[in-house]
Amino acid sequence: MKNITITIFAILIVAVMVLYFVSFQVREIESALITTFGRPTREITEPGWYFKWPAPIERVYKFDSRMRVFEADLGETTTKGAVPIIVNTYVVWKIAEPLAFFNAVGTIKEAEGKLLSQLSDTQNKVIGGHYFAEFVNNDPTKIKLEDIQGEMLADLKQPVRADYGIEIKTLGIKQLKISEDVSKDVFGRMRAERNRKTEATIAEGNAEATKIRTDADSKKTELLAAAEARAKAIRAEGDAEAAKYYKLLEEDPDFAIFLRKIEALKKYLEKRSTIVFSADTEPFELLREMPDIKPKK
Amino acid sequence: MAEQNNKKLIPQSPGKPAGDELDAAGKSLSEALRISFIILKIIMVVLVVVFLASGFRTVEPDEQALVLRFGKIRGVGEDRILGPGLKWVFPYPIDKIVKIPVAKKQNLPINSFWYYQKPSELLPQSPQTRIRVPATLNPVIDGYCITRGEKPGQAVAASVSSDYNLVHCKWQLTYKIDDPERFFKNTYTEDAKPGQSYAEVIAKSIKPLLGYLFEDAVVTAMVNYTIDEAISSQDRIPKHVKKLLQEKLDRIESGIAVISVQLTDITWPRQVDDAFLASIKASQKSQKTISEARGYAENTLNETAGPIADQLFEALKDETTPELVLSAVEGEEKELLWSQLAGQAQEKIAGARAYRTKVVETAKANAEYLQKLLPEYRKRPELVIQKIYQDAIEYVLSNVDEKIVIQPAEGTKGREIRVLLNRDPMIKPESEQE
Repeated sequence: MKNITITIFAILIVAVMVLYFVSFQVREIESALITTFGRPTREITEPGWYFKWPAPIERVYKFDSRMRVFEADLGETTTKGAVPIIVNTYVVWKIAEPLAFFNAVGTIKEAEGKLLSQLSDTQNKVIGGHYFAEFVNNDPTKIKLEDIQGEMLADLKQPVRADYGIEIKTLGIKQLKISEDVSKDVFGRMRAERNRKTEATIAEGNAEATKIRTDADSKKTELLAAAEARAKAIRAEGDAEAAKYYKLLEEDPDFAIFLRKIEALKKYLEKRSTIVFSADTEPFELLREMPDIKPKK
Repeated sequence: MAEQNNKKLIPQSPGKPAGDELDAAGKSLSEALRISFIILKIIMVVLVVVFLASGFRTVEPDEQALVLRFGKIRGVGEDRILGPGLKWVFPYPIDKIVKIPVAKKQNLPINSFWYYQKPSELLPQSPQTRIRVPATLNPVIDGYCITRGEKPGQAVAASVSSDYNLVHCKWQLTYKIDDPERFFKNTYTEDAKPGQSYAEVIAKSIKPLLGYLFEDAVVTAMVNYTIDEAISSQDRIPKHVKKLLQEKLDRIESGIAVISVQLTDITWPRQVDDAFLASIKASQKSQKTISEARGYAENTLNETAGPIADQLFEALKDETTPELVLSAVEGEEKELLWSQLAGQAQEKIAGARAYRTKVVETAKANAEYLQKLLPEYRKRPELVIQKIYQDAIEYVLSNVDEKIVIQPAEGTKGREIRVLLNRDPMIKPESEQE
């Protein structure tokens, strides 16, 4: 009984040790390369449990298969039409084929060096094929920035995969700049543009204000005219109504006119007037002589 | 044989027949062996238990976990992801549990589009200290975005550079891991060192990737906007950036989700500060001019026709349509407006109304007066005329300030008289002043 337990235990230990030497795991995040007597013979990109000959015969090299980023140096490039532009490009890449990678570069650092030279070639080639106006344009529909990035990706993808076993996942421009000298000119232009805008703003504001005022004034004129017309109509109504009463005056027009004159006289001389009378005027004839009157019989 | 029999009979004490000393030695040896076997057994059991127990792992509430069996993710479909709770997996080297902090929101500030500030400039400044602004932007140390020029139609010719502007901006990205499997498989993270939390390590490891993609999205988005659109901090620019970034993250299957993108700060270059400030001032002034004009318009209309001025004006404009077309309702509405009239127009109409009343009343009064006087006048015309005439003269003379009676000239030759009158009729004669 004892012996069986011990035996099983011993076998287990030996089995584990043997397995340790003849098998290995490839995790989801890596790929592996097997060399036989130093010569690469197999590549494993699928995760799982694999067997191999023990150490001196076959060796396992593992590569991290996850995405890494790499940034190229800030570089001044000339666009088509000789306008300089400064771009900073990055790539997201991963080791796709361990065999090719192992043969061509081997280490991450070396891979980055190769990527850098490839990338700057691609960058110069693609950017040199586009006008500056395709990077920045007043008309947003003419901006081809995304297309340019796509073109660079397409240009870089194939050779890098074939030569180094590297897969480019994506690529992009993370800084888009202009040279220091140009920035001075741009500031000059920005300032001029802003000043022009300032003037335009003031002019527009004044024009708008003037329009508002003029509108109000013309509205006022029209409204007053309309009111005047209405007032006239009302006065005419009054005159028409008053005319009805004139008929009653027709019974003795002379007397009516006399009364009207008296009324007018009273009104005209109501206040603050100086009158020069002739002594012939009634009742001032009394001032000249006594009237010759006698009682009627 | 007897000894052998003895042995068989008493297997518990095999050394006994060989003598006492030997017996004792063999006994203690076997005893020791037996004990060590027991201890070994216990150790083995303990080891097995410990080994099996080492498979227990707690997945925290803000985490999700994957199990790698021989390096490959275990399970199918949704079973591949383990939620929070106590889990048991086969111990190393069969299974390995990978915990990913999925619910945790992480922030990533992006300041690479801001101008370079010397460490001394970053310290709190008193308003008096003036920072010397360099005349240019150095592409190596100063960050900025290019925004498109304003006027479409200009600079369309492919070879001409457009009148783009530069702008500085600061951003903040908030993200989380939303697909643990994709994230684990595709996105590079460093291994956590003892004492480091895995979330921290992840945040640090993916910072370059996220940062680069984010900057790319910002550059790509910003060229589509003018500097004024950018500075007025509209929500649509961060939204645009967020969309671009998420597309990129999905394209590379990173398993990262963008929660929000914020534009935390944006400004024009310091080199053109004066021009921009002047522009802002001008637009404020312009606004003021316009609002003053509006005030004037409102006052004018109010003075003219009161609060209904505009409505009335509109109604009057409609008058161009023939009167017949106007429905009764519209006519009534207009009358209602007229009745609510105020201001100068109202004064005009009120004046007309007063005139109407006065004219009618006067005519009526005159007529009645005549009617009343007529019978008497017919009877004694002379007396009535005289009476009325004298009354009038009396009335007039009682009101007159100065009366002058002149003897008419004899003959044809006229006589000249001179009367000195007050030049200003409002100045009362001295006699009245007292």
